[in-house]
Amino acid sequence: MISDIVNVIFCLGNCVLLVNLRRMRLEKCWFCSSTVYPGHGVSFLLLHVFKGYITLLLLKIFHFCRSKCHKNFKMKRNPRKVKWTKAYSRLHRKDMTQDSTFEFERKRNRPERYDRNLAENTLKAIKKIDKIRSDRASDHIKNRLKTGKVQRQKEARKQLELGIHLVKAPLALAQDSSLCLPKIKVNVSQAQTEENQPMEE
Amino acid sequence: MIQPQTYLNVADNSGARELMCIRVIGASNRRYAHIGDVIVAVIKEAVPNTPLERSEVITAVIVSTRKELKCDNGMIIRYDDNATVVIDQEGNPKGTRIFGAIARELRQLNFTKIVSLAPEVL
Repeated sequence: MISDIVNVIFCLGNCVLLVNLRRMRLEKCWFCSSTVYPGHGVSFLLLHVFKGYITLLLLKIFHFCRSKCHKNFKMKRNPRKVKWTKAYSRLHRKDMTQDSTFEFERKRNRPERYDRNLAENTLKAIKKIDKIRSDRASDHIKNRLKTGKVQRQKEARKQLELGIHLVKAPLALAQDSSLCLPKIKVNVSQAQTEENQPMEE
Repeated sequence: MIQPQTYLNVADNSGARELMCIRVIGASNRRYAHIGDVIVAVIKEAVPNTPLERSEVITAVIVSTRKELKCDNGMIIRYDDNATVVIDQEGNPKGTRIFGAIARELRQLNFTKIVSLAPEVL
């Protein structure tokens, strides 16, 4: 991780103001994967030190968007098992996992030299790519829910038929039968029944 | 929130391993020390064959606490342990290497040498 320490020196007349600006980056909450905007959330720095003859150091930073995620982390819950997190939905294929639009959001540690045109184009592209990505994600969910749609409609119709007395008073239904659900007429072709022949002796 | 009797790790290679806080430098009845505060501590555990020995009284500056540090820009940082860097009376670290990520607030408190030695500054 390259930390960019930016020192901005403002000269106000005779005095010099030295301002240290921290990196402003939109992080992802470690637990629920929502974006953590600057000024929000808590960052937890875990420095794993192996104290022996050789000291090995691993710095891991966890960002949390709100205390809900932070508390769940402290409870040692695995986000892949907690149903409301993105980690769970991606693992259980409820959300779109592979798409070319994700490539644009990959973290790059190489700082880019500021170019006005590049910055302008990037801002325009961000909007467009975001729209495409969210459209594709919602399509993915829509397709996933399509298979259950017919079943759900059948269940809903059945429930309405059974519970019509909750919707309309039975007396009103009896008086005016047009308030019922229209019954679908199905033509059934029946073979002509033979007349009852007396048993042959 | 470091107070007397608190055990602290040492985040440099000065030779001390574990310190116990004796006094928080500041006001006479100052209760707690946070990141960037100087404390007087006694060495409880030291690496053998180094200039610092066990039960030696030294000053140190706190570089990480389990209690959250609220930065001016709204960021809140919490560390996993309470750690210090052993310093001398001027504020220069006694060791030559610093371990771990150091908060940028130490720069404003004139611990520039520590910040420059740190592998990562947040």
